[in-house]
Amino acid sequence: MAHRWGMAIDLDRCMGCEACVAACHAENNLPVSDPAQAAKGRAVHWIRVDRYYEGEFPEIRVKYMPVLCQQCDEAPCEPVCPVYATYHNPEGLNVQVYNRCVGTRYCGNNCPYSVRFFNWFEPKWTAPLELQHNPDVAIRPGGVMEKCTFCVQRIERVKLDAKAENRPVADGEVQPACVQSCPAEAMVFGDLNDPESKVSRLASSGRATRLLEELGAKPKVFYLQRGK
Amino acid sequence: MDRRNFFKIVSTASTGVLTGACGKKLDRYVPLLVAEREIVPGEEVWRPAACGECGAGCGVIVRVMEAERVVERQGDPVRERIATIKKIEGNPLDPVSGGRLCARGQAALQGLYNPDRLRGPLRRVGPKGKAEFAPTSWAEAIAVAAEKLEHVRAKDPSRILFLTGPQAGTRALTIARFLEALGAPPAVTFEISDFPIERKAADLVFGWKGLPVYDLANARYVLGVGADFLGGWASPVFYARQFGHFRQGRADLRGRLTQAESRMSITAQAADLWIPLPPGTEVLFTAAIAHLLLREKLARGPNGVPQQVVQAFEAFDVTRAVRACGVEERRLLRLARELGESERPLVMAGASVVQTNSLESVITAHYLNLLLGNVGKPGGVLPPAPEPIGGRPGFANALALLERTQFVFLDGANPAYTWPASTGVAQKLERVETLVSFAPFLDDSGAYADLLLPDHHMLEATAAIVPAVAPVAAVTLATQFVEPLYETRATEQVLTELAKKMELTFEPATPKNVLASALTEGQTWEEAVRQGGVWAAAGGVEAEQPKPRKTGTRRGEGPTAPALELSAPSFFGDTSQFPYYFHPYPSLQFGDGRAANLPWMQELPDPVSSAMWGLPVEIDPQNAARLGIRTGDLVRVESAHGRLEAPAYVHPAAIPGVISMAIGDGHRHFGRYASNRGANPLSILAPVWEKSTGALALGATRVRITRLASGRLIQFSVSDREQGPWGYR
Repeated sequence: MAHRWGMAIDLDRCMGCEACVAACHAENNLPVSDPAQAAKGRAVHWIRVDRYYEGEFPEIRVKYMPVLCQQCDEAPCEPVCPVYATYHNPEGLNVQVYNRCVGTRYCGNNCPYSVRFFNWFEPKWTAPLELQHNPDVAIRPGGVMEKCTFCVQRIERVKLDAKAENRPVADGEVQPACVQSCPAEAMVFGDLNDPESKVSRLASSGRATRLLEELGAKPKVFYLQRGK
Repeated sequence: MDRRNFFKIVSTASTGVLTGACGKKLDRYVPLLVAEREIVPGEEVWRPAACGECGAGCGVIVRVMEAERVVERQGDPVRERIATIKKIEGNPLDPVSGGRLCARGQAALQGLYNPDRLRGPLRRVGPKGKAEFAPTSWAEAIAVAAEKLEHVRAKDPSRILFLTGPQAGTRALTIARFLEALGAPPAVTFEISDFPIERKAADLVFGWKGLPVYDLANARYVLGVGADFLGGWASPVFYARQFGHFRQGRADLRGRLTQAESRMSITAQAADLWIPLPPGTEVLFTAAIAHLLLREKLARGPNGVPQQVVQAFEAFDVTRAVRACGVEERRLLRLARELGESERPLVMAGASVVQTNSLESVITAHYLNLLLGNVGKPGGVLPPAPEPIGGRPGFANALALLERTQFVFLDGANPAYTWPASTGVAQKLERVETLVSFAPFLDDSGAYADLLLPDHHMLEATAAIVPAVAPVAAVTLATQFVEPLYETRATEQVLTELAKKMELTFEPATPKNVLASALTEGQTWEEAVRQGGVWAAAGGVEAEQPKPRKTGTRRGEGPTAPALELSAPSFFGDTSQFPYYFHPYPSLQFGDGRAANLPWMQELPDPVSSAMWGLPVEIDPQNAARLGIRTGDLVRVESAHGRLEAPAYVHPAAIPGVISMAIGDGHRHFGRYASNRGANPLSILAPVWEKSTGALALGATRVRITRLASGRLIQFSVSDREQGPWGYR
């Protein structure tokens, strides 16, 4: 059976440290903008930590929530792409084909989670910062959209390893960079088609919810609510 | 890379075969230094290393791959293949990081490949403080330094001062040996990241040398007081890992955290309940809990507490705490009951923002732990693991020392940034006859240097470091495996050459020779190199049940056990002129400011305000409305000792009357990403110290705040993203 990759994020463990944000930058060669571009809303973070205030001081609570591409089953970004640059792959990922993208930004406009980013300019790195680039991930040119891929390069690598050793991919073997880095182990990644996988079990637990579920996009990222 | 795979690699490597994670086998032993001819394009090699970004000393593993760089040779650009580091992850074998790593640790890569790194030795050509330098050769630089050092040594070696960072290990040992050979006083650390208050309190109450280990993972009810242990405190990755387990790692058991702190820190927001305490009232709050615990007969170990302390707790007037802390008595009572009735209660105390009475507050919290009977027990306060190699630099207020010094070495310390301007640090550094900086970057203090002798980056170095907090005796080991990018030189080597020139008997401490004694039975040096450290028992903290250890307390020993003092904090600045408390705090992304030159950290949205490329002043909505301040407005914060200007962030969870600001910005010199960006909150502090340790009292200054103009705060996510200044991304 094909894989169906999904993620569970335990908000009871998460404390908003943003280790995932840095890990994503390192793994996926995200461009760093500058203050002028950042002020125009052009900074790129495939994963961000949203914060919500509830109540008034002193009875106030802050909630942090890591938000990345929700890899929706009924992804609103997909049907609006005129050139099929964003499509649904057989393992359930919303994949962005950079060299098909013509930069209409319709997908970003249609994404309810604001997790798609447009490269307004050719990304630049001041030498020798480019030495840190991960050779497994393409640098996106100017004029194309980009977003979280669930670290598809890591998924493919594990699948190749498993194939070479003639065995199935083990649960927990695939770890996107954010999941790998999380100090509180708040993030779990795995195959939703495997009912025994950790992510499947967490996704069907009583604490699991999905972000903006009422929109019907059927995200594959499950948030486990904070306990009492 | 997970624990299992890394184990596979290190264990097969010992037989001479290294398994790459992409499934191909490399039939060769990976040499210590990855030479150009050894690099296989597209092939990755994972090597253990040490993180030097803060004192936590996490063990890491790095992904080494081939890359190409262009260098100039005889005027022509030449392409050169080099081994480069692509990513840093936690070392799964390391008991501190356990395979995980914080944002700052991962961004260390950008220190290594930072375009502003010093590429070789420099000598000052302009006036001091103006940062005008010209390249020089290592031979010349060392000759000059040796001559000046010899001059001072011959007259009075006590006029030599070595200021270092807080990290213990081979570097600190080498420096200690060098100074001993010179006949100079030992090196001093005077950084806010050394946690002198926490160290001193543990020593006074328990007789422990080092930071106590809080067994958060196995506790059931935790009361945090003043320690932002998930943020920029002693060992963020270690405690974050434990926190995950504390919350959801045990079947049918969820740990509850109540955090009492004078700021909504990231620990406070992760807590189930936040008790906002006015600055400096932690000690009264803790004493009230202790009083109520005794009154309710919930104290389990009153015999472990010196009699005079129990009496002081019993005599404590709770209404004093109720008034000062603004917390109702029934609420305090509920907390005391929750603590006292919990099967495994724990009080995690510290001083993220030091006040003049912080030592008393941490001491009181330790007594509270003794009352709860959790010291040395699982889920309680555990003694620090013994440090297998010595050399932790001593903490001292170096201000007076600097006054009478002629020759200053700087390594891992940046006094021109971290000491308040009111101490006259700039003038003092200017007055120093010779100043030598080993920093890999030109920083605020380096601008006053006569010689910049750049050290290798930590990822290019060979070093053994001792983590600040570790569950077992631990040494993190880094051995050089990529060629240094530039003409930098290890400080150990520079000191050796200096000693040679001066004909001193001196030998630097190398990881190999200092670790010889720390290796346990059956362990070899080669194995330690492959694993990236030596640990008394390798394993995650969650995995093992810590055994109850001897507490080693000095209880009942009369004079050594400190009496309970419950003094009020002092604040500097006239209340009528300066009505607000100022609260600069070490931030998650910049720590004490030393990560501000990493572009990833500049663009990392601040966990509080989501600010990028410039940290804001945090003010509560009530006072902001009164003063007409809105988020993004440019405000001026003034103390009796200086002023700063920065954008405001109206923080819904700020305590009214407490103006907070993260430390990190406002460097005058620190490369293109940090220089002249934002404001340095430390610069306007009053020169006030916690009297017993000499630690800078970060929170003891009063300020006033005024709106100047509308300004700009760059935020990544604003509260209502759709209504932001842009329509969509």
